Amino acid sequence: MVWMSQQLGFGELFPNRVELWKRRCHNPLRRACRRGPISASETDALIRILCQMADRLYPMLRTLLSNREAPELLAQRWQRFQDRLAELIRERMNPRRSGVQQLLDPELGAAERRQMVRSLSLAAGEGGFERLRASLLDAAA
Amino acid sequence: MLQSALMKQTLRYDQLSCRLEVDGFPDVSADQAAGSVGIITGWRLEWLGRPELEGEREHLLALMEVVLPYARHLISGVGRRFGGEQRPVAIEPGPTGGHRLELRSSQSGNPSLELELDDAELADLVRVLDGLRLDTRLQLPLALPQSQPLRQRELAERLPLQRRLAAPLAGLTALAAAAALALIVPPPPAPAPTPSAAAAAAGRR
Repeated sequence: MVWMSQQLGFGELFPNRVELWKRRCHNPLRRACRRGPISASETDALIRILCQMADRLYPMLRTLLSNREAPELLAQRWQRFQDRLAELIRERMNPRRSGVQQLLDPELGAAERRQMVRSLSLAAGEGGFERLRASLLDAAA
Repeated sequence: MLQSALMKQTLRYDQLSCRLEVDGFPDVSADQAAGSVGIITGWRLEWLGRPELEGEREHLLALMEVVLPYARHLISGVGRRFGGEQRPVAIEPGPTGGHRLELRSSQSGNPSLELELDDAELADLVRVLDGLRLDTRLQLPLALPQSQPLRQRELAERLPLQRRLAAPLAGLTALAAAAALALIVPPPPAPAPTPSAAAAAAGRR
């Protein structure tokens, strides 16, 4: 991620991995969560990094979303994705948050996980930045 | 003739399930470079295993005007129809979980074409349209709406109507039950006046 942020020209905003990690810790779902303001340029940079990562992962996201795959193979892929996601979430996220619990739920979280993968596929690349940024500014539900 | 053939440009955007090709010319009256496109003369959208779509600039703009806002809403989890009955292109969530793209021909008598896309095909379509929209070779202002945050009312569409109505209906039912109970239960009798209060009232008279 540090390499990618430097490739995107954010070397001054995030000069090293610690600075990047400190900004990422403003996510309230994380286990180690930081409070305090974060500037618009930093949030925009984080969104651009996310869109670029989604772009790199797009072939994998696409295979998860395609209905043209054999159902057994698709189920295996989703199972593998779910296991890896659960592993990462347990390691880094706060398990007491209801959003985290929902993502971890094997059955109730299935729709949530599919929505997450679909959002990433639609936010991938340069064109996805505006869409993802606007969605993050949605009114509180 | 030869000069126009030499100046013709084709912009191509490839994804796994579709390919968009846009033909056009640089607008020499606006001093555009030879490799750019300022005038769109036609476009083709080839789908894997589906009929090829083609049209003019207006149809391409109509496609972008509905598909890109639809994708924007999907990121927020809101799936709703874009494109009215009179528009050449419309898209809406499909009955089986996919996306139903409807294209109406401008020529009378031609039936409309309906395509059922899955999430991956929709993402491919969005990517080729993004590729065109952000291509610096396209020197044509595209009047496309900017992505905007959704209002609370629009986000409410994420929940099914039954779940949205459940809380107000439960409240109204509880209120009606309480009102019915209040009508059935007789009011308590008025307290009898105490002797001292009766004497005081007589003294005032």
